[in-house]
Amino acid sequence: MVQISLPKNSKVVKGKLYKDKTGSKQLKKVNVYRWDPSVGGNPRIDTYEVDMKNCQSKVLDVLNKIKNEIDPSLAYRRSCAHGVCGSCAMNMNGKNGLACTKPHEEIKGDLNIYPLPHLKVVKDLIGDLTTLYKQYESVEPWLKTSKKDDNKENLQSKKEREKLDGLYECIMCACCSTSCPSYWWNGDKYLGPAVLLQAYRWIEDSRDEDKKERLKKVADELKLYRCHTIMNCTNSCPKGLNPAKAIASIKKMLATT
Amino acid sequence: MKNKENPLSPHIQIYSWHISSLVSIVHRITGVINIITLTLICLWISTILLGTENYEIIRNFLISFFGKFLIIGITWSFSFQILSEIRHLFWDFGYGFDLKISKLTGALVILGSFILTLIIYFLGTGLFE
Repeated sequence: MVQISLPKNSKVVKGKLYKDKTGSKQLKKVNVYRWDPSVGGNPRIDTYEVDMKNCQSKVLDVLNKIKNEIDPSLAYRRSCAHGVCGSCAMNMNGKNGLACTKPHEEIKGDLNIYPLPHLKVVKDLIGDLTTLYKQYESVEPWLKTSKKDDNKENLQSKKEREKLDGLYECIMCACCSTSCPSYWWNGDKYLGPAVLLQAYRWIEDSRDEDKKERLKKVADELKLYRCHTIMNCTNSCPKGLNPAKAIASIKKMLATT
Repeated sequence: MKNKENPLSPHIQIYSWHISSLVSIVHRITGVINIITLTLICLWISTILLGTENYEIIRNFLISFFGKFLIIGITWSFSFQILSEIRHLFWDFGYGFDLKISKLTGALVILGSFILTLIIYFLGTGLFE
């Protein structure tokens, strides 16, 4: 259901201000969403004054600097720091993206960092993605084939392989799904852009023999047709992919076959 | 997650708007306005059955300043809906998903809705005759 306002326990309150101690002249105010399960209460926005003169270029570098030098209690996910693993997906100044590939210089003024939208918060910037992973599992993201000969390659022509371009690059960071208003209101039923892009990736694979079944499975008023082409997904994808187009392709396939 | 106390992260409160999301929500709002308007127009026409006086009362209201303002607003609502629907039609054919193109078509829908309203207004006042 559409719920514009946040539940009572989720209303954000003002938090602490961590004043700069380095005496740097090049300061940036970084507002970060904080919530600690061991303390409870309402989430708050802590403000850190960060010395930008001695900080590397990406938003993740800013967070690392805060964690290493100012406040070690800050929690966030990160791993590869090169836009490959998708761990550090978060909301930066109103737009989802990967903290490790987003240059902080692109954000003028204060830096506002929130967890991915409309998720149960585990701690600070870490959201709970259990539902999304379950939905991902439901589209059976693996090759289904009757070919049993393990000694032979399962060939694909160049053209067939090209169809997977723009689909296989997805790193499942969940930036797109958590940017989608339809997914916010109907996330328990609607599969969301990330999972539908993956569903399409297997529908389009020439080696897969389960295309019809796969199509039948997603052809559902709630699972697929909750997409209203708001384009938040494509707009937020840090890998430059186009989930909105993938969803439209599934719709078109269902309408024409 | 079992713990019900975990807060929900902010969503529409913090998410930034862009042309496509704006056009999408306005498309929905104008859709609701249009359906209400069409119902009211049907009701207005039905009042003719009850005699000319009823019809006249509403007509007098509609040619007043506020009435005209209302009609122009509704014309805009229909203009927007039509143009946005054409944009959706292209999407259904699989065209226009490129980020730059969808931004451009979104801007065209917004701009076009005002131009179309003006054209219909001037057609109504007989400026083109």
